[in-house]
Amino acid sequence: MSLIHLSFYSAFTLSSLGLAFHRTHLISALLCLESIILSIYIGLSLWPVQNQATSFTLLPVLILAFSACEAGTGLAILVASTRTHGSDHLHNLNLLQC
Amino acid sequence: MLSLTLGTMITITSNHWVTAWAGLEINTLAVIPLISKSHHPRAIEAATKYFLTQATASALMLFSSMTNAWSSGQWDITQLTNPPSCLLLTAAIAIKLGLTPFHFWFPEVLQGSSLTTALLLSTAMKFPPTTILLLTSHSLNPTLLSTMAIMSIALGGWMGLNQTQTRKILAFSSISHLGWMTIIITYNPKLTLLTFYLYSLMTTSIFLSMNSTNTLKLSTLMTSWTKAPMLNTTLMLTLLSLAGLPPLTGFLPKWLIIQELTKQEMTTTATTISMLSLLGLFFYLRLTYCSTITLPPNSSNKMKQWSIKKPVNTLTPTL
Repeated sequence: MSLIHLSFYSAFTLSSLGLAFHRTHLISALLCLESIILSIYIGLSLWPVQNQATSFTLLPVLILAFSACEAGTGLAILVASTRTHGSDHLHNLNLLQC
Repeated sequence: MLSLTLGTMITITSNHWVTAWAGLEINTLAVIPLISKSHHPRAIEAATKYFLTQATASALMLFSSMTNAWSSGQWDITQLTNPPSCLLLTAAIAIKLGLTPFHFWFPEVLQGSSLTTALLLSTAMKFPPTTILLLTSHSLNPTLLSTMAIMSIALGGWMGLNQTQTRKILAFSSISHLGWMTIIITYNPKLTLLTFYLYSLMTTSIFLSMNSTNTLKLSTLMTSWTKAPMLNTTLMLTLLSLAGLPPLTGFLPKWLIIQELTKQEMTTTATTISMLSLLGLFFYLRLTYCSTITLPPNSSNKMKQWSIKKPVNTLTPTL
């Protein structure tokens, strides 16, 4: 079982590194965020399978619902920033410097 | 606005990690349109930065609770037993609150939002992560929290020194107050709550008085005495209270925190944070000086420019 644990821990770590080191496009940050949530979802779906407790199967569905809302909001922000800044390049987000 | 209260209530009253996460997500989602309401490029940029940081913090928190659940078998908030989970949770809440070293988003987001939204961001949105910190404070690493708190107070003071935009100044004051709140959380969580309540009261009065005179820059602050003279004097008192000067209310949490720290034999820490809050005192004094004591170099008029919203805060500095 710990091989599966290793797989979603490493998926989470890789996605968070991708989120931390995104370079040019905002959309890559959003993609990494989604993959973080996806790895958490997969890890959480294993819980009722392993522990034979079917009442916990609600949790991944709840997380999926909230993360879908969040993804929608992220995409809306992407669209809004493309409308105001011209592209989703991260170099353009420098209007608020000290 | 209603979903903000809903999200806050859900997080505060939760004892399962997923409900806490759900409440935080509802808060984030509800406040994003409030930030980006004006469709100004700065507002959209602020909303982008806010969204990215808060979303990563929520995901990190969920991941830490999941690793804790896999290693200990339960989802209770007050029983965090896995040390890597505690570390990840501390990092996640630090990102959400704006503690150093994760504070970089906060001044820019406050700068890009309107004054009332900035008020919401710095008082109401800090409340649910603080409650989670309070619930889990007995199992978190005190050294890490103290280090982050001291760095927050230092950075909040230092980086606020060169600012002329009032929202950024208030952002840095918020960061240093958060440092004061965090340093005592493992020893006496009630003091954290007290600091939080008093801080939110004082910040609310400052934001509302700035909102009624619409002062976004230091130069605007200098001419604000023509618009509402009484408001200006109370603004001065409230600013000094935020700085923590003795006869005013803002001194009370600092005094109690220092007392508690010396009881825990951490006198060097107490001395360090008192010295570092002197840096904050400098920019509070500069704000006070500019708003009340000096006359502006440009011409001022006694005309009332627009209708003044109710000065609720004439009473709050006297608390």
